[in-house]
Amino acid sequence: MLEIRNLHVSIGDKPILAGIDLSVRAGEVHAIMGPNGSGKSTLAQVLAGREGYAVTQGSVRYLDQDLLALTPEARARAGVFLAFQYPLEIPGVANVQLLRTALNSARLARGESELDAMDFLDTVKGKLALLGMDESFLYRAVNEGFSGGEKKRNEILQMAVLEPRLAILDETDSGLDIDALKIVSRGVNALKSPERAMILVTHYQRLLNYIVPDHVHVLAGGRIVRSGGASLALELEDRGYGWLAPEAQEGARP
Amino acid sequence: MNTLTASHYRQAFDYISGAVDEVDARRQALERFLAQGLPDVRDEDWKYTRLDHLDTTLLHAPILAVSPARGTPAGSPLLRSDPSAAPAVSGYPGQVLAFANGRLVSAALQSGAVLADSLASHTGALAVKRHLGQVAGESALTQLNAALWQDGAYLHLPADSHPDQALFVVHTAGEADAMLHLRHLVILEAGASAVLVEHYTGTADTPYWNNIVTEIVLGEGARLTHIVLTEESAAATHTSRVAVQQARDSIYHAVSVSLGGRLARREVWVNLGEAGAGCQLDGLFIADARRHVDHHLHVEHAAPHTTSRQTWRGMAAGRGRGIFDARVVVQPGAQKSDALQSSRNLLLSPHAEIDVKPQLEIYNDDVKCGHGATVGQLDEAQVFYLRSRGIDADAARALLLRAFAEEALVLLKGTGLRDWMEPHLAAALPIEMENPA
Repeated sequence: MLEIRNLHVSIGDKPILAGIDLSVRAGEVHAIMGPNGSGKSTLAQVLAGREGYAVTQGSVRYLDQDLLALTPEARARAGVFLAFQYPLEIPGVANVQLLRTALNSARLARGESELDAMDFLDTVKGKLALLGMDESFLYRAVNEGFSGGEKKRNEILQMAVLEPRLAILDETDSGLDIDALKIVSRGVNALKSPERAMILVTHYQRLLNYIVPDHVHVLAGGRIVRSGGASLALELEDRGYGWLAPEAQEGARP
Repeated sequence: MNTLTASHYRQAFDYISGAVDEVDARRQALERFLAQGLPDVRDEDWKYTRLDHLDTTLLHAPILAVSPARGTPAGSPLLRSDPSAAPAVSGYPGQVLAFANGRLVSAALQSGAVLADSLASHTGALAVKRHLGQVAGESALTQLNAALWQDGAYLHLPADSHPDQALFVVHTAGEADAMLHLRHLVILEAGASAVLVEHYTGTADTPYWNNIVTEIVLGEGARLTHIVLTEESAAATHTSRVAVQQARDSIYHAVSVSLGGRLARREVWVNLGEAGAGCQLDGLFIADARRHVDHHLHVEHAAPHTTSRQTWRGMAAGRGRGIFDARVVVQPGAQKSDALQSSRNLLLSPHAEIDVKPQLEIYNDDVKCGHGATVGQLDEAQVFYLRSRGIDADAARALLLRAFAEEALVLLKGTGLRDWMEPHLAAALPIEMENPA
């Protein structure tokens, strides 16, 4: 589903990613872990199409398309979803308005008809329940005045409504207490499917107790320095990132 | 003022003087205006707005508005036959007093002692004699209006009257190079309350000058919600002053929405003359294409325990220019005054300009005052967030502009006029903007 080959990315003159290779197949859950500043969030943003990053080498194929050639909205309509580390507040735009506009954009792109307000509400109600959100969330401005946990739940709600093929969750666990973490994880697990792939970007192993990955990759110095199964995450929990740092520094050298 | 230009104003005066009252007082007002000339940059209050183009235009009094002689019932066949004298009076959620080219073209409205009619036909009324010209102040433009006005709305609410419908004063301009000096007088006696809407429209691309004076007198405990929607022709000049005199415990809430005209200069002067009086002056302007929109607010806290609030939103796109110049003066005797100014603005093009000048002048130390003003661009992080959800870039920007304007619609809460305003606003949003990035 996703093939990242030798991806190099800079911000201005500063190289951030220095040759990422990653293959993700449908149905798989990948965790990308690493210390602060390792380039995890950059990778997530580049996949979603954020401007301001220069891809200097390499390629990203997604469902046999050149992902990097697509606008952010085209990627979203093709099934790519990024759950933001810091979801934006948008005063004056109701949550329901964003969800419905987004869903209908995707439906039109797939050649399906738009959902009217009633059908949409039916669709969204079950998803709200999944995330323990009441209907009043729909009528509040997007993320405005939401707590940290509510913002993250709202991201997963958007994911549940849009039903992406490839979901990238950027530090979805950060700032969550244990109860919120459980709710968010339950939501994410419910969305696992053989047709859907997920990439979890996280600093801590904690999230992976709840969402068990098939593959774990350690990103350091802009490269993947170690890949393994779910047990690698536990090893990192015990030993920290320090033991991988020499490899990371070596890898970062041009 | 050069002789040529002065002669246009004299001609206009001669043209109308046969059909109006108080000719001597009007002549004096004209002479004072001519001695002063149009306001220019020498006046600090006119630092941002020039009216030079009016000096080089052959302006005339509206021809259709002079005849018939006074006393002809409004809505006479003569007036009805003028095609421009037919503003769309349907579609307003309330009662409508319709004007065209400065002249009343609908029937007067009277319900019990509540009256809404042509001001020209009530110049003899006691309340009119008492208040007309007493509130507006003597600027060059109010003098010119005093000399040349022919008609406008007269709204009189007796004590404790509460019309259950909003009153719309609707004006359509359609005569090229006409100068229209509408004069409105609004009197709410003690305890009365009303919702008044002024709506200005014009025939597309017709140049004219609308110079309006609205005087408002609020008695003790009276409450007026006053909405002004400006959708003048794209070639029109709109200058106006709303002047408000407030008695004890009266409340004045203005919402000004400026969406049209080549140049619009709107002034609101409020005198919080007695204790407990409060005003809220809100507004939204959109200055796109080459439009110039200047709002000038002046609130005078002249008595203790008076309150003023200002919440303004502005957008400038294309080569548009917006100005928000607001002064709040708290006089020495106005202890426990409470004043807040807030102005948020969006600059949507590198060629657009917004000038924000909130000013507090405080002459005693027992007050609560504050102001905040921002000029920013559309937040590209918000745009990306929406795009990442599959909403295309233009639609994302449109959604954010609508959301920004939405804050102005919230100010209409409680008036029941939100649904009426919404499509006007939506149609005026500068959606096809240049991306400032």
